[in-house]
Amino acid sequence: MTDVISAFIDNEPFDPVALRDALATPEGREELLDLIALRDVVQPTAMVASVAPSTARPTTRWALAAAAAAMLAVGGYTLGRSLANEQVVATAQITAPAPTSIATFDNWNDTLPAGGN
Amino acid sequence: MARMADSQALFAAHQDGLFGYLSRAVGERETARDLTQDVFVRILSSATLPPTAEQQRAWVFRIARNLVIDHHRRQKHRQTEPLTADPVSDGRTTSADTAAIVHQALSRLDDDARDVFLMREVSGLSYVEIAEACQLTPDAVRSRIHRTRLQLRAQLTAPIASARAGRLCLHPSPSQSGHRS
Repeated sequence: MTDVISAFIDNEPFDPVALRDALATPEGREELLDLIALRDVVQPTAMVASVAPSTARPTTRWALAAAAAAMLAVGGYTLGRSLANEQVVATAQITAPAPTSIATFDNWNDTLPAGGN
Repeated sequence: MARMADSQALFAAHQDGLFGYLSRAVGERETARDLTQDVFVRILSSATLPPTAEQQRAWVFRIARNLVIDHHRRQKHRQTEPLTADPVSDGRTTSADTAAIVHQALSRLDDDARDVFLMREVSGLSYVEIAEACQLTPDAVRSRIHRTRLQLRAQLTAPIASARAGRLCLHPSPSQSGHRS
């Protein structure tokens, strides 16, 4: 086939006799339809964003960093709370030690404010 | 101020076609968005615009094409993993499968063939505009487009058959291939 079919579907100047001859054969007509379908196939409307492995964009990196910071903050808070609870429980379980010696005060005297007895 | 308004109008007129071309040329939407913005920056930073609308369009796509070439050059330097194997059809082709197959077929083309083809099919440039953008003759563009079509026709038999099973449109406008997420 010549490029007359391409010129025709591209709205470019073409030789009508050459086009008639090209379309006179079943192969020529198949080619015409295939090339029109090919145009439809390559339109980006059919394209999916995940065609190529996407590289991490700066916005994605920022979102990931923010999510990681939030997780760390929440995790730290939760850990701190649980440790504080453990300390309260531990404090409640402490009992006073038994006394080893007792001090007594004998011959107790009050002192008057004026300095006398 | 008038220069800025002209640049914005020029970009607005071609951004959908540009994004479509860039999406297919680099295979990633986010990169295509970045490159579309880069084209705009380059238009803004240019001292003068080409005089005619046809030349302006070709100029905008030449800028885009240069950015694509730079992008592929950088990718080649970074690429360390081997290319994935061809997708195997199991008879249940999804749109993601089709997109992957089309992307692979396009990435097998040489730069000139891919750019010429995409500027015509996706962005709707005329042969003269493509010739200007890619620094070729219109006749070379004409034969290259046809050759590339035949090559892709042989590689994309399943998606083409699937498209032929539905209704076709001879001249989809570039605006149909705009920013859809």
